[in-house]
Amino acid sequence: MRQRFQILSDPRFRLVYNETRSFIEGPDPKNVRLNRENFTLVDGVKKKTKVYPGMLLATHPSEKKGDLHSPMYGEITEINYRSIFIDAVDPEGIEGQVEPVDVLAEGKEGDELILQMKQMGVNTKSLAQEVDTLIINGLNPDPGVTWAEPMLTQNGQNLHAGIELHKRLAKAKNILLAVPKGMHVSYDNIDVVYVEPEYPKSVNALLIKEVTGKENPEGVGAVGLHNIWSLGRVGVTGLPLMETVITIGSQTKWGNYIVKNGMWIGQLLDYSGIDLRAGDTVLRGGPLRGECLDRLDRSITKGTTGLFVVESGTVPPMEGHSPCVNCGACVQVCPAHLNPSTLSRYAEFANYQACLAEHSPSCLECGLCGYVCIARRPVLQYIRLANAKIKEMQKSAVENNE
Amino acid sequence: MSNLDKKLLFSMSVAPFWHCGRTIRGNSIHTSIALIAVLAMAVWHWGISVLGVVGLSALFSMLTEEFWNKIMGRHSTLNDGTAFVSGILLACLLPANAPFWLVILGAFCAITFGKMAFGGYGANPVSTVCVGWAMIFISFPIYMDPNAMLLQTDFIDPLVRLKYFGPDFMVNSISFTDLLLGRQIGGLGTVQNLGIILGGIYLIAKGVIRMEIVVFFVIGVLLLGGILNICNPELYVNPFYHLLTGSTLFCAFFLATENASAPDRAIGMRLYGLAGGMLVVLIRTYGIYTDGAPFAIMLINLLSPYFAMIQPKPFGVKQ
Repeated sequence: MRQRFQILSDPRFRLVYNETRSFIEGPDPKNVRLNRENFTLVDGVKKKTKVYPGMLLATHPSEKKGDLHSPMYGEITEINYRSIFIDAVDPEGIEGQVEPVDVLAEGKEGDELILQMKQMGVNTKSLAQEVDTLIINGLNPDPGVTWAEPMLTQNGQNLHAGIELHKRLAKAKNILLAVPKGMHVSYDNIDVVYVEPEYPKSVNALLIKEVTGKENPEGVGAVGLHNIWSLGRVGVTGLPLMETVITIGSQTKWGNYIVKNGMWIGQLLDYSGIDLRAGDTVLRGGPLRGECLDRLDRSITKGTTGLFVVESGTVPPMEGHSPCVNCGACVQVCPAHLNPSTLSRYAEFANYQACLAEHSPSCLECGLCGYVCIARRPVLQYIRLANAKIKEMQKSAVENNE
Repeated sequence: MSNLDKKLLFSMSVAPFWHCGRTIRGNSIHTSIALIAVLAMAVWHWGISVLGVVGLSALFSMLTEEFWNKIMGRHSTLNDGTAFVSGILLACLLPANAPFWLVILGAFCAITFGKMAFGGYGANPVSTVCVGWAMIFISFPIYMDPNAMLLQTDFIDPLVRLKYFGPDFMVNSISFTDLLLGRQIGGLGTVQNLGIILGGIYLIAKGVIRMEIVVFFVIGVLLLGGILNICNPELYVNPFYHLLTGSTLFCAFFLATENASAPDRAIGMRLYGLAGGMLVVLIRTYGIYTDGAPFAIMLINLLSPYFAMIQPKPFGVKQ
């Protein structure tokens, strides 16, 4: 109560937005940029290769990382070590197409299904965690992201298929679906639990605590609703996964879109009618945990949850030489009971050992510390830096011992 | 025109990209707004000349800060408004007709020893305002004693009556209404209780100060004052008089809540407030000073790191 009143008074932190509009089908991409880091290109895929929707372009050596498919008719214009670039071309004269597979009717289960889903482009790492209880996180992951409600209440066929396929491939004994308190949903094929839809409860570790009452209990995992949707999409269409659902939002425009993987964000922003100005910040992911982009030819990747524009002037600028003033706001909001102000100062002066002693790896990276910082310090970034350095130190310590 | 054709430069930043909108400067502005009612009441009771004291104090606080920043070769921090606010708060503790040199000296000491010596805003362990106040209060007790300075007034100083003539005499000579409306002798801003309460509520609503500290400070005063009063009503006054006299409420709302020198977790904040309230009563009852609230603030500021040690275990860490 106090928190809402005094510090987190922003109504958008309540992760229920009464969004009832269905997802809008995104535009046909003009250009696509697919991330191929660590992928192995399929034979014959090179510059100037003509591609068709669903065509396999590259495979990933990991068994739990989905393979890469072309989302459209086009021609590969460039391949570098990070990306594959495709430009749209007229489908006339391009040979080949993918036949839909009725995955649900085939009835595969377990590892066999996991492999099939991987081949159809789904990332199965979190779906097939080896845990006793797996909780499907049905909350909107970040404030401002609004696709969870329509995903739960509309287009039930997709979710139903996703849940069904997930049940077949999951290694967990129990699967629960966590949805916002007050929402009326009923699915015949899954148990539902209700949680308070208040950010940061959508962070997996906090959701697990909300459901089980324990902090980091053994044998409990969480998986995003987004992954279930992807699984359902493959189940319903029978085609490799080529789309993702994202929220595109700015101060004034808001909507949920089904967009092709690899779409340039510039085209998407045009499509959703968002007019950019110099000095705006464009970000991929959620407004609290995402990453900002420098150019409009960056693309939407598999698993992206949103695309947001923060207009210049709507948030106080970050100035870069701002010392901590000990106001304590971050300490009050930190859901992990850490002391972000102290951690950020240790990290600022490269004292990572002290960060470790102050439990910085317990950070859940919800971003609230930076949200409330009156000195506009990049608190979360400092903690992320410290944690990365701590990992490095621990890794090199292990190597030295060997 | 398509966004792609515009060749725009974007701002790069790090997560989180949204912000609550509160800044140091914003907090200073809110505090200044909250002090308007206090200063208006001071002008009503003591005339327009109090604004001279307030202005001088604010001006020299800012000049002192700028001076030290220049000497230390640092960015100017005037823009954040904290020196301005400290100056006004310090002026509120002074008598309405404080001589100009006292005001200047107070502002200089406050900013130098209460703020810049520790590295600037937020790094000071003890309230900036209280440090400045204490230095001139100890050095020039006569000039800092409102009862001695303000001779041409019909108001009385309830704390002097309480200390030297006993509770009955004090209670009979002044009403709660007078106390609430600031019709009493004291620091120019600190006795304007109605204005302080209004301003304080505004600050709480804006999230600038933490409500727990204020509430438990008041509880501390009422609790210890109440216990003493019940034990011996002839010797110890009704605790509500402690609350509305001297600078108790001013300290509770504006000084005890100074973010940097107060704890920030629930239990710590409560103990801190409670300790502050109790110390006010103790100093007034058993100490040599009639008021003593700013001293109480300085003491709890020093205890604050210990209160801050009471903290929950981090998420998922097993003990």
